[in-house]
Amino acid sequence: MSLTTSYQERLAIARLLHRFNFGPTPGQYADLVRHGLDATRATVLQHGVADPGIDSVKPLVLADLGPFPDGSAAKSNQFWNRIQKDSSDLIMWWLDRMVAARHPLTERMTWFWHGHWATSISSVTYPLTMKKQNSTLRSHALGNFMAMAKEMVVDGALNIWLNNNENYIAAPNENLAREFMELMTIGVNHYSQLDVAAAALALTGYSTVQSNGTVTLNRKEHFSVPVGILGKTAVYDAESLAELVVSRKDNVQFITDRMWFRFVSGTSAPPPTLAESFAGRDIASLVEALVHSPAWTDPANALVKSPVEWFVGACRALKVRPSSLDHDATQWLLSQMGQLPFNPPNVGGWTYGEAWLNGVAFQYRFQLAQNIVAKGDLSPLDVQPLNMVQACADWLGIPQWSRRTANALTLALATPSELALGAILSPEYMVSA
Amino acid sequence: MINCEFDRRRFLQWTGASVFAAMSAQLSGEALAQAAAASPLPARTPILVLVTLYGGNDGLNTVVPYTDPRYRSLRSNIALDHTQVVPIGNSLGFNSSMPLVAQLYHRRKVAIVQGVSYPNPNLSHFSSMAIWQTASLTGESSGWIGRWLDRQAHSPFSAIGVGSTLPPAFIGERSVASMVDVGGIQLPWGPVSEILPRLGSHSPTDVALESAAATSISDLYSVARSVGPHLPKSPSGSWISQQLEVVASCINANVPTRVWEVNLSSFDTHTGEQGDQNALLSDVDTAIGNFMTKISAGDRSGDVTLMVYSEFGRRVASNASDGTDHGTAAPVLLIGNRVKGGLYGEMPSLKHLDENGNLRVTTDFRSVYGGLLHDVLGTPVADIIPDWKKTLSVH
Repeated sequence: MSLTTSYQERLAIARLLHRFNFGPTPGQYADLVRHGLDATRATVLQHGVADPGIDSVKPLVLADLGPFPDGSAAKSNQFWNRIQKDSSDLIMWWLDRMVAARHPLTERMTWFWHGHWATSISSVTYPLTMKKQNSTLRSHALGNFMAMAKEMVVDGALNIWLNNNENYIAAPNENLAREFMELMTIGVNHYSQLDVAAAALALTGYSTVQSNGTVTLNRKEHFSVPVGILGKTAVYDAESLAELVVSRKDNVQFITDRMWFRFVSGTSAPPPTLAESFAGRDIASLVEALVHSPAWTDPANALVKSPVEWFVGACRALKVRPSSLDHDATQWLLSQMGQLPFNPPNVGGWTYGEAWLNGVAFQYRFQLAQNIVAKGDLSPLDVQPLNMVQACADWLGIPQWSRRTANALTLALATPSELALGAILSPEYMVSA
Repeated sequence: MINCEFDRRRFLQWTGASVFAAMSAQLSGEALAQAAAASPLPARTPILVLVTLYGGNDGLNTVVPYTDPRYRSLRSNIALDHTQVVPIGNSLGFNSSMPLVAQLYHRRKVAIVQGVSYPNPNLSHFSSMAIWQTASLTGESSGWIGRWLDRQAHSPFSAIGVGSTLPPAFIGERSVASMVDVGGIQLPWGPVSEILPRLGSHSPTDVALESAAATSISDLYSVARSVGPHLPKSPSGSWISQQLEVVASCINANVPTRVWEVNLSSFDTHTGEQGDQNALLSDVDTAIGNFMTKISAGDRSGDVTLMVYSEFGRRVASNASDGTDHGTAAPVLLIGNRVKGGLYGEMPSLKHLDENGNLRVTTDFRSVYGGLLHDVLGTPVADIIPDWKKTLSVH
């Protein structure tokens, strides 16, 4: 450990890298420890600039596969194989971007929003439609939440997932209307059932082409009679509904809380002033306020890395492109750990915290770690054996090994691959303490 | 709307579904075997098994008022007719996807408590499930079984969840239930297996989450070290069948556990309800039928009570997508060889619906808990649910 850097500063720098940037690339942590916390803040916040890492990931072009085939079994097999392949390509493409990004904040925020607007390919079926949603989330990832909400309420994948394709005036389907208010914008108990029913009417007449996510409004099928929602009577459509709901004060605290919860602490509440940074619904200013929060030196604010965050972090450190691993095995192991991108368990999004840590999941974590290390660049461990364990901490962005882990890793000094494997499976690396 | 503000942060936690799961012990088969041998559950000690159906099971298509013309007209696209039910009298019938439970009903081993929910249901999955699991109308509280655990002599075996995530109901103020897993375990291999067990020990510098991460490693080893002779080698059938097979095996081996939990998801049938719900109910039915057969053949035949419940029932009127939106009251099933079978409570009227077109609640779920606490867990309800006195007894 550098003599001039306090443990607290090493801790804060490690947290910022792991939580906002998917963890350090080789050498980056030691570098930022030398440059200090302010430099780290500036680094993790960088976005919207050219990113040669992202550019190195081959763009993924998916075709519109059209309606489900009816007819021969051969045709049907061909169709479902293609869905399967495109879906696999989509997952690997996104994981590659997270790993390759030189300025990962945009991908990290897109990942956050994917959990927020949690939509699963399980019922959307078409990878192209999921990819379209993913692009929408990315384009607004650090933009304005109002603009994001207006586009998401008419997102094809979300409309399929929450049954808005079957929302008719005669018998409205409330699924999208309710979850839009409860889980995505203002939170439960900030609206009534009458608001939900009226909001469902506001969302009638939108129909989605499932195979490509195109949403169109058919005015004849749209409820165009004034209706009261949250105390305001008007003729609503999806856009004016989003405008109304996101304008509510409740939205400011709701989004602030969710970000705090996922990035800072699962147990404490955000400081009361934090929400001010989101008053204009500007996501980047809330992220900036979080990054500049004094919370990072508070030992209480530990979080468990979700399986994807852990996996992407390890791949970044070991310079492994996920797509260079066995695609099927990687996806199966991530899903066994409970987190395959584009497959959240329900509209409430991913679980969190200790739920990711159980003995059952650890066996799959081990197998993933082994696959990463087998392809990994271990050169950061090319140092004198005496310095190897500390070099490993600096490499992976660990503020300090516990005696337990340091002692265990010392047993592997003769075999760097075993040392690396032990390190990414250590409690210190599973958790962003 | 519920009266008290549902705390936002608490809400966020519920969306995460399983809080503090890793604080609990993951019990190995060996540990269970040892516990069963060393301190077997005394004969005739009652046992409660919770079967949680996540997503909001449609009660009206589970216990079906198939002769009511309002039932048929309000949900003409998904209504079940007389050929799709097993009649049980009182103009009701079980969904015919549940032949085994219907048979148990006819043998008077199933109590159907009708119209169960909490006051002023708010139709949210997440806050409804929080209310059911905490037995508090704000959902801001410890779990109800957790509070019962708090009052027992400490033992990691008193309450056990099956699977890899613990239900919030099992987390008390001071105590957390344990878990067992259904699947097989493959231990890490290769030279690193020298290091890994050491990483599973605790270090004084660990923060709580690092400790939990270390525990996840040692748990894997302790679970894998041996699978007790009474754990089924390869549970078969659907996911819910596998879970209940584990529970039945442990109960028959006298594992000293008073409360078990198993669960099944995907009951949120906004579209295409009939096919989806029938398939799910069929899985539940097979699982319960097999479970009761196993239990009835063992020494604890009369000791076990199952409670089958969901966070809410669904809207009376179907939507245009052959599904139903979120609703309110639904039947709770209580099943066991010593349960006094039959209908309890009042079937909510399909004529006098609430202002949202939902069933009016006729039985408060806390009364059902009250009966179970008194009859099965031997604890006064007011100890667990403050200011609540009512008990609905089916024993």
